[in-house]
Amino acid sequence: MLVGISRRDLLKRASLLAMAVPGLATVLDACASAVPTAKAKILRVGWTIEPDTMNPLTTYSTEAVEVLQLIYDQLMHYDLDLKPQPGLATSWTYSPDGKSITYTLRSATWHDGKPFTSADAKFTFDLIKSTKTSAYYQWVTSMVSTEAPNATTLVLHFSQPQAFNPGLAVPIIPQHIWTGMDATKIQKFVNSHPVGTGPYKFVNWIKGTSIEVERNESWWGTKPAAAKVSWTLFQNEDVMAQSLKTGSVDICPEIPPTIWRGLSSAPNLKTVSLPSFSFHHIGINVSDNPKSGGNPLLKDRNVRLALSYAVDRQQLVNVALAGLGTPGSALLPAGFGEWHLDIPESQQFNANPAKAEALLTAAGYIDRNGSGVRTSKGGKPLSFRLIAIQSTSVDVAAAQLFRNACAKVGIQLKLTLLDANSLGNTVYNAQAPNWDIFVWGWDAGVYDPDYMLGIPLCNQIGANNDVYYCNRHYDQLYNEQSVTIDHAARLALVHQAQQYYYDDAAYIIMWYQDKLQGYRTDTWQGWQPVNGGMVLNFTRDNYLKVRPA
Amino acid sequence: MVRPIITSGHVPGPDDGLVPAVAAEPAQRGQLRNVWGYVWHDRLGRVGVVAFVLVVIIAVAGPLLFPFNQAAVSSTSAGLLLPPSGQYWLGTDELGRDVFREFLAAAHVSLIVGLAATAISMILGAAIGIVAGYYGRWIDNTLMRLTDFFLVLPQIPLVIALAAFFGQSLGIIILVIGMTGWPTTARIVRSQTLSLRERQFITRVRSLGTPDSRILRVHILPNVMPLIFANTVLVIGGAILAEATLSFLGLGDPVQVSWGTMLHFAFDSGAIGRGAWWYFVPPGIGIVIVVLAFTLTGHAIDQALNPRLRGSR
Amino acid sequence: MARFRYLGRKVAWLAITLYGVVTFNFVLFHVLPGNPVRLLARSGHLTPQAVAAITKVYGLNHPLIVQYAIYLGDLLRGQLGLSYTYREPVGTLLGQYLGNTVLLLAGATLLTIVLGVLFGVIAANRRGGRYDSLTVTTSVIGWSLPTFWTGLILVFLLGVWLHAFPIFGSQTPNAVYTSPWLRYEDIAAHLFLPTLTLVIVNIAQFVLVARASVIEVLAEDFMLTARAKGLARRRILWRHAVRNAMLPIVTSSALLVGLVVSGAIEVETVFSWPGMGLLVYNSVLNRDYPVIEGAFLVFAIVVLLVNFASDLLYQVLDPRVREA
Repeated sequence: MLVGISRRDLLKRASLLAMAVPGLATVLDACASAVPTAKAKILRVGWTIEPDTMNPLTTYSTEAVEVLQLIYDQLMHYDLDLKPQPGLATSWTYSPDGKSITYTLRSATWHDGKPFTSADAKFTFDLIKSTKTSAYYQWVTSMVSTEAPNATTLVLHFSQPQAFNPGLAVPIIPQHIWTGMDATKIQKFVNSHPVGTGPYKFVNWIKGTSIEVERNESWWGTKPAAAKVSWTLFQNEDVMAQSLKTGSVDICPEIPPTIWRGLSSAPNLKTVSLPSFSFHHIGINVSDNPKSGGNPLLKDRNVRLALSYAVDRQQLVNVALAGLGTPGSALLPAGFGEWHLDIPESQQFNANPAKAEALLTAAGYIDRNGSGVRTSKGGKPLSFRLIAIQSTSVDVAAAQLFRNACAKVGIQLKLTLLDANSLGNTVYNAQAPNWDIFVWGWDAGVYDPDYMLGIPLCNQIGANNDVYYCNRHYDQLYNEQSVTIDHAARLALVHQAQQYYYDDAAYIIMWYQDKLQGYRTDTWQGWQPVNGGMVLNFTRDNYLKVRPA
Repeated sequence: MVRPIITSGHVPGPDDGLVPAVAAEPAQRGQLRNVWGYVWHDRLGRVGVVAFVLVVIIAVAGPLLFPFNQAAVSSTSAGLLLPPSGQYWLGTDELGRDVFREFLAAAHVSLIVGLAATAISMILGAAIGIVAGYYGRWIDNTLMRLTDFFLVLPQIPLVIALAAFFGQSLGIIILVIGMTGWPTTARIVRSQTLSLRERQFITRVRSLGTPDSRILRVHILPNVMPLIFANTVLVIGGAILAEATLSFLGLGDPVQVSWGTMLHFAFDSGAIGRGAWWYFVPPGIGIVIVVLAFTLTGHAIDQALNPRLRGSR
Repeated sequence: MARFRYLGRKVAWLAITLYGVVTFNFVLFHVLPGNPVRLLARSGHLTPQAVAAITKVYGLNHPLIVQYAIYLGDLLRGQLGLSYTYREPVGTLLGQYLGNTVLLLAGATLLTIVLGVLFGVIAANRRGGRYDSLTVTTSVIGWSLPTFWTGLILVFLLGVWLHAFPIFGSQTPNAVYTSPWLRYEDIAAHLFLPTLTLVIVNIAQFVLVARASVIEVLAEDFMLTARAKGLARRRILWRHAVRNAMLPIVTSSALLVGLVVSGAIEVETVFSWPGMGLLVYNSVLNRDYPVIEGAFLVFAIVVLLVNFASDLLYQVLDPRVREA
C-alpha cells in the first residue's frame, strides 16, 4: 500500500506546531543557561559585521576601529561624557593664534617591549600627512609641520586654527614597525599582529568567528578588570540575540528593532536605546555638472520641498524602525546635543501633502493628462528614478513608503534596488552622475560637527559629497566654524550652516536611528549609557571601567 | 546547482547519449490517453495531479479573491509580527502586512517564475539536444562541451553579475535559472534523439533524400515531445526550488513577494528566534507541496511513457 | 592503446572546460561595475592618493587584457587575487575557511550515500510493503524540501524550541576545554544539525536509485538461476544486486558532490557554520568579487574533477560501456 501525502496531514502538523508556540516563551526562558558561578574574566561582545583589517591606516570599518582603539592609544581619548581626556598626551595647549598645538607625552611601552617616545607620535602624523592615503588624512590637511623637541613633547603646526583637535582621532603607531613604507606598501600591509601601546594586546583573529585581545599588564593607565575581551561574529542578528539570552555573550552593540523589542522581557538582560550620531536620508541629485544624468526638474527647489513635505517621517520611524528612532530634520543628528539644530515642528518641511500639492501647483506642475503624474509647463513629467540598497531592510521599507507617499501628491518614483557596491558606484560617479534620488545613510566619523557639516562642500564633490551640492555661502559658513575656537560663536555658526542647508532641501533626512543595545546584568556591571552607544562608539571607556558582577 | 530529476532510477549517466540506458518507445496515436489513464490510476500519480490542480487554483484564484496590498504597512509598531487571529488568518509580517494574502500573492509569483524559467530551459535544452543528437560528430561534440560548461555554471555569481548592471529583478532570476537548467534536459533529449536516429524508419526516410528539416519536424520532434513534456513537469519543481534559494540568499526581487523573499525577510527580521512560525512555515510548506505536485505527476507521466520503468514499482 | 587515447581525450576536454570556466569567471567579474575604490568611497574621506594606491594594489590601472594575463599567471601560481573587504589574498581566506567546509561536506556526503543505499536496498528487498512505501514517500518529500528551509525548521524545532542542539558556529564561543575530547564533542554537537539538513534533503536520490537498481537486478534472469540453485536471498542481494547497482550510484555520487557543494552555501548561512559557503554568502552581500570569483572557481574545479573521476570509475566498473 503506497501512502500518499494529503493536505490534511500537513495541516495537522502545522496546527500541532501552533499549539506548541504559546509555550515557546516560557521554554526559552527556561533554556537560558545558568549564571556562571565563577567571576567573569572575559568580556564577550557579539556583533554581526566583521572588521575588514587590523591595519589602522587602511581600515574604513567601524568594527575595525572598535577593536583597534583598545590596541592603539591616541594622544587624547573621549571619556563617558564624550569629553577629551588624557591619552598618550597628559596635557595639551594651543598657541595664542590657535595654529599650533603642543602635547606633553607620558612614557609608555609598545606591546613588543620597545619604549614609546615622541618620535613615534611625530612619525605617525608625518606618515599620514605624506602618504595622504588613510581616513585620518582629513584631520591633517592643513597641518604644515611637526616637531618633537624632546622625547616627551610633540608640536603640531597648522596653517589655520583647528577647532577640532586631531589628537582625539589619530591612533599612534610604532615607527620601528611602519618605517619605510610608502602608500602602496601601506595598502598591502596586512598588519596581522598589530602592535600598539593600548590597554589590550592582540591575541588572534579567527576569520568568520572571533577576535580576541588580552590585557596589557604594562599599560600606563588603570588596569581594566577584564583579562580578555573577545568579539564574536554572528551571521544573523536573530542568532546573536539568542546567544545574548543564553549567556554566550555579554553585550550586543547593534540589535535591529524587532529583535530588540523581543529581548525586553528576558531575565538577567537589560536593553537600552541610545541616541546615535547617524541618520538615514533621501538624497537628491542637484549636480551642476553639464554631463550629469540627473533629472533637471530636481534643480527646482519647489520640487524638492514638495518631496520633503510629501513624506511623514514619524510614520517612517514607526514602520521601518518599529518606532525606535527620532524623525529627522537638521544635518547633525539629535545625539550631538546642543550642536543639533532644533527646528520647530511648525517650520519643518514634513508630513504636509496638502502643502506639497499647493507648492507644485503654484510652480506650474499640474496633472495635464489625467495620468496621476504632474507635468511641468514644458510637458516633462515629475517622474524620477529612486535607488536604494537591497540589503538594508530599513531603507527598502522607507523607499517603498516614500514612493507611496509621493504618488499621492502626483510625483512618480520608479524604485530599483541595488547592492551597496553598485549604488555607491552609481552615486559617486562624479564625472557624470546618472541618478535622480537615493535612500542611504551616514554615520559621523568623529564626535565633532566638522565631519558631517563637511559633507555638502564644493570641494567634497568627488569625495564625500553624495548629492553634488555646491553653494558658496554654505562653504563660507563651514570654513568659519571650523576655525572658530570660541564655543558660543562656533555653536551659532554650526546652527546657521544647518539651517541654510535644510532650507535648500537637497537632503531629506528621514530619521536619526536609535542605537539599540543589550547587555547581561549577571556577568559584568558598571555599564554607563553614552550617546552613540556604550560600546561601538567614540569612547572605549566602558571596556575599561566595567567590573565583574 | 539545479537538483537533477529523479526518474526512479534513471540518473543521467556520463556517456548518456552514446549508450541510452532506457530508451522510450516511439510515439503512437492515442498515447496521450494511455498516459493519462496510467497516471490517474497510479496512486502517487493521482496525488500529484490533485495537488497540481489545487496549486493552480490557489495561485490563480487566491490573489483574485484575497488581493494583497504591498503598501498596506502597519502605521504603528504594535502591528508587526502578530500571531494568527480572526482578522489575520496567518498573522502579520515584519511590516505589519497580512501574511495569508502575502502567501497567496507569493504563490502566484513563485509559480510564474518557475514556469517561465522552465520554458526557457526546456526550449533551449530540447533544441540543443535534438540538434546534437541528430547531426552528431563535431556538432554533437561541440554542443556537448558547451553543455558541460553550462552544467558547472553556478547561478549565484551570474545573478550578482546581471543584477549589478540591471538591478535585482525577477527577470534576471528567470533568465539565470533558465540558462543553468537546460543542460540536463539537453542530455536526455540528445540520448533519445540518438536512439531514434538509428531506428529503421528514420534511416529509410533519410536514404530517400528527405531534407533534414522535414525529418526533424515530422519524425523526430513528435517522438521526442512526450519525453520533453515529462521532463518539463519535473524541471518546474527544480526551478521553483532554485528561485526560492536565490531569493532567500537575498538575490531575488525584494519589491516582489515570492515564497523565497518571504523566507528571506523572515530570516532577516528575526522571526525564527521570535517563534513567528506563521511567517516562515507556510511558504516552505507551499514550496514543498508545489514541488511534490510537479514531481509526482511528472514521475508518473515518465513511467507511463517508459513501461520499463514501471517495473520498479 | 585505445584506452589511453580515450583517457587522453577526456583529460584534454577537462582542461579545455576548466580553461573556459576560468575565463568566464574572469570576464564576469571584471566587466562588472564597481571596484574596491567605489566600495570604500562611502566609508570615509577617500583621497586621490588613496584611490591611486588602491588601484595600483589591485592592478586596476592595467587594460583588461593585461589584467587577464596577470590573472592567469597568478592562477598558475595558486594566487587568487586580493579580497576587496579584507585586503588579504583570497587563497589565504579560503584556506582559513576550507577545513570547516570539508568537515561538514565529507560527513554529510558519506552519511547520505551509506544511509541512502542502505534504506534503498532494504526497501527494494521488501518491495510493496509498508517499509517500502514509507521510504519512497519520505524520500520524495525530502527531495522537495528547500535545503535552507529545512535548516530553518530544524533550527526552530531542535534548537530554539527543544534547545537540544546548538544552532550556530562550529564551537561554543569563548569556551575553554579541559581536554581535546571535549572540544571534539563540542564540534560534533555543532555539526549535527547542519549535517542532518544536508542528509535529509539529498538522501532521496540514493534511496530511489539504489532501490530501483536493486529491483531491476533482482528481476534479472540470472537471479532466478541463483535462487533456483538455492543461494540465500541475502547473499544474492548483497553480492550481486548491490554490485550491479554500483554504476548508477557512482554517477549519483558525482552529482551529489555538486549538490552538496552548492547546498553548503545554504546550510552554512542558516547555521552560521564558518565554512567557504558562509564566506561566499557574505562576499555576495558585500559584492567582494575576488572572493566570489575564487570560491566559485574552486567549486567548479571540484565538481569537474569529481565528475571526471566518476566517468573514469564508470568505465572501470562497467566494461560494457565504451565510447564508440
